[in-house]
Amino acid sequence: MIAGLVLLGIVLALVAFVVGIYNRLVALGNRYKNAFAQIEVQLKRRHDLIPNLVETAKGYMAHERETLDAVISARNQATAGLERAASDPTNAEAVKGLGSAEGALSGAVGRLFAVMEAYPDLKANQNMMQLSEELTSTENKVSFARQAFNDAVTAYNIYRQSFPTVVLAGMFGHPSDAALLEFDSEAIAEAPKVSF
Amino acid sequence: MATNFFENQDRARKKTSLLVFLFAAAVVAILATLYALAVLVVGFQGQDPSTGAMRWNLDWWSPELLSQATLFTLFVVGGGSLYKIAQLRAGGSVVAEGLGGRLLHADTLDPNERKLLNVVEEMAIASGTATPPVYLLDREVGINAFAAGFTPNDAVIGVTRGCAEALTRDELQGVIAHEFSHILNGDMRLNLRLIGVIYGILIIGMLGYWLLRSAAWSGAGHRRNNRDNSGAVLLAVGFGLMVIGFLGTFFGNLIKASVSRQREFFADASAVQFTRNPDGIAGALKKIAGLAAGSRIDHPNAPEASHMFFGRALPSLFATHPPLEERIRRLDPTFDGKLSESVSEPAAAGAMSGFAAGPAGAAVNQIGAATSAHVDQAARLIASLPSEVTRAAYETWGARAVIYSLLIADEDPTRRQQLEWLRKYADDGVLDETERLIPMVGGLGATQRMTLIDLVIPALRELSQTQYRAFKDNVGALVAADRKIDVFEWTLQRILWQHLAPVFETVRPTRTRFRSLARVAPACAVVLSTLAWAGARTRTAAESAFARGANDLGLSDLRLIEPEQSGLDDLDGALALLDGLAPLRKGELLHACAVAAGADSEITDREVELVRATADSLGCPMPPLLAGQALV
Repeated sequence: MIAGLVLLGIVLALVAFVVGIYNRLVALGNRYKNAFAQIEVQLKRRHDLIPNLVETAKGYMAHERETLDAVISARNQATAGLERAASDPTNAEAVKGLGSAEGALSGAVGRLFAVMEAYPDLKANQNMMQLSEELTSTENKVSFARQAFNDAVTAYNIYRQSFPTVVLAGMFGHPSDAALLEFDSEAIAEAPKVSF
Repeated sequence: MATNFFENQDRARKKTSLLVFLFAAAVVAILATLYALAVLVVGFQGQDPSTGAMRWNLDWWSPELLSQATLFTLFVVGGGSLYKIAQLRAGGSVVAEGLGGRLLHADTLDPNERKLLNVVEEMAIASGTATPPVYLLDREVGINAFAAGFTPNDAVIGVTRGCAEALTRDELQGVIAHEFSHILNGDMRLNLRLIGVIYGILIIGMLGYWLLRSAAWSGAGHRRNNRDNSGAVLLAVGFGLMVIGFLGTFFGNLIKASVSRQREFFADASAVQFTRNPDGIAGALKKIAGLAAGSRIDHPNAPEASHMFFGRALPSLFATHPPLEERIRRLDPTFDGKLSESVSEPAAAGAMSGFAAGPAGAAVNQIGAATSAHVDQAARLIASLPSEVTRAAYETWGARAVIYSLLIADEDPTRRQQLEWLRKYADDGVLDETERLIPMVGGLGATQRMTLIDLVIPALRELSQTQYRAFKDNVGALVAADRKIDVFEWTLQRILWQHLAPVFETVRPTRTRFRSLARVAPACAVVLSTLAWAGARTRTAAESAFARGANDLGLSDLRLIEPEQSGLDDLDGALALLDGLAPLRKGELLHACAVAAGADSEITDREVELVRATADSLGCPMPPLLAGQALV
């Protein structure tokens, strides 16, 4: 009877330990999924500002068709990428895709603002000033929300990879690391073209 | 009314003993059945091939079998319950997420979600606590809601999609008020314990079901004429376990019904006092009665939490909730049983008898007992805040700037130092946002500032761990800039960390450890001293205020403590200790605090907010004072 109780105690302790691991994985997973919802709100705001920006700019920069179109198309790509990632933030590929789409959008918008330097009238336009102010503020919030998301993802990944969690993670439905959200911009690699 | 709040908390604790007793009875019954089943299985000798009759060799007393059955029962039931209780230690969010809930963000653009959040916000401010997290059960079409958590500080509210879409604002308010009364009456902790305890009993049935399915699976591959009875044994065992499982569910619901059913009526009654329109909650109940899905919850995890919901979530033999019609009738005697669209008449005087809101007594007597007057005032308080400020407060990025702006001093050397700190250590744009908000918050009164802090908490909960650390450091630096801590700074930090610590730091749910004030006398002295010094301009005034508080408490031997020794850390330590006081003693302590704060002829808003923050820290939120209301 005593031996049975001791065995019972050990087994219970083991079970509790394993269950604790499962619960923590679930909790950390939920954390980063919630954090994604925050980014979604800010990115949507960013995407919604772009068309206004382009419309205002078109009035003054009619000849810069290429630049303006590039912004709109990058924005549409980003919206699509956001939808895909939002439907399943655990999908590492979708998250990485979102990252590069947003990076491309940042690049396109950056080029637009660089070009705008040659149009002082546009820069002084009230609407444009307000829009770029809102855009900057939104960029700050996006960056902040992205940092929170990456923090949560890192916490999840670190725990998932640690021993002994890593042994059980696959069985518990957490087979792989979650992806960080990086807005890598290919535009940075390009040297800005200056025309005299 | 304060005695009601603390008595309720006390009563809820006592119910726990009843719960434990019933649980023990259930375990014994399950063990007996299991043992009988084991004897039957062991004694089964197979079928007589000629007559087809079953042969048994039943040995009803077998100590070895008994000990094995006991071990098994303890293992499964004990293990199951411990597992669930451990899982629930993380608090209400575990329950909410387990039921498929989605956390709502304060800066949502969806109008239904925003309406829901506004209602919850008003109720929270009216009760004197921060807005709790709100979860939406997207896939539930029934009309239902629940509140889960151990204390008002870590409570969460869950609402079904059906509820958010089908109810008017008044009806929604009635439902949320009902849930808030559960939060404030100590029901939640009891309910969480219920889930944990019953889970163990339910597990046996689930085990049996699994065995049954396995037996069917292996039986399908059996050859005929096989004399091997193992498949049949497995089948019998599985079936037997399922029978025990039904027994478990029977007992589970019996326990739930005896513990939680009466509380539903009580919560309805509290809610009526708490809402602007008493017809709201009756209206919600009528809508449930009229809807095909009613208050049904479809999620597979519903059975373990069925007692926590506003309306009956699942049909069961021992109903966890009183009948709908009876609930409606208690609220609206004119209800004729017809569920047609009835225009809500102003409540007849009869409906309100027994629930009539008396003249507003002293504020300290309204702890946990807010009324519709408080809800009205809460709505006015929230509306009085500049919209730019509330907009910033609802999003995580801007919420930090709101807090910083409240801490920036008016006078120059300190002000410059604080802004410089933010320039160096805060994220990009935060300093600018803070400077933008400073003129807007400058004109706010003490109560408005407290309201703003309560509104900011939900957004701050969404910080990441690293961001939270940085935020905490910045707040600490801003407060330390002038090298002294004033009442406001203390109150702000108290409320912030009180509500954010459960999210970011491991906080153990407090147990009641002290039943007498004498055992925590030094901590009481620290708290009373702080309050005495806060309101006094001279030493004698502080001593007299302290003495009045100590006398009220019945601890006249206590002496006023010097300000150097009743600093922030001492206070935090004292309050952490006092959180373990029994509810009735907490009530006495808070009364004494109010006496000490109100001892001088002139009581400032800041002193009132100090008392309210202390009350909130002890899990007994005090509503903001109504116009002309006395503190004590």
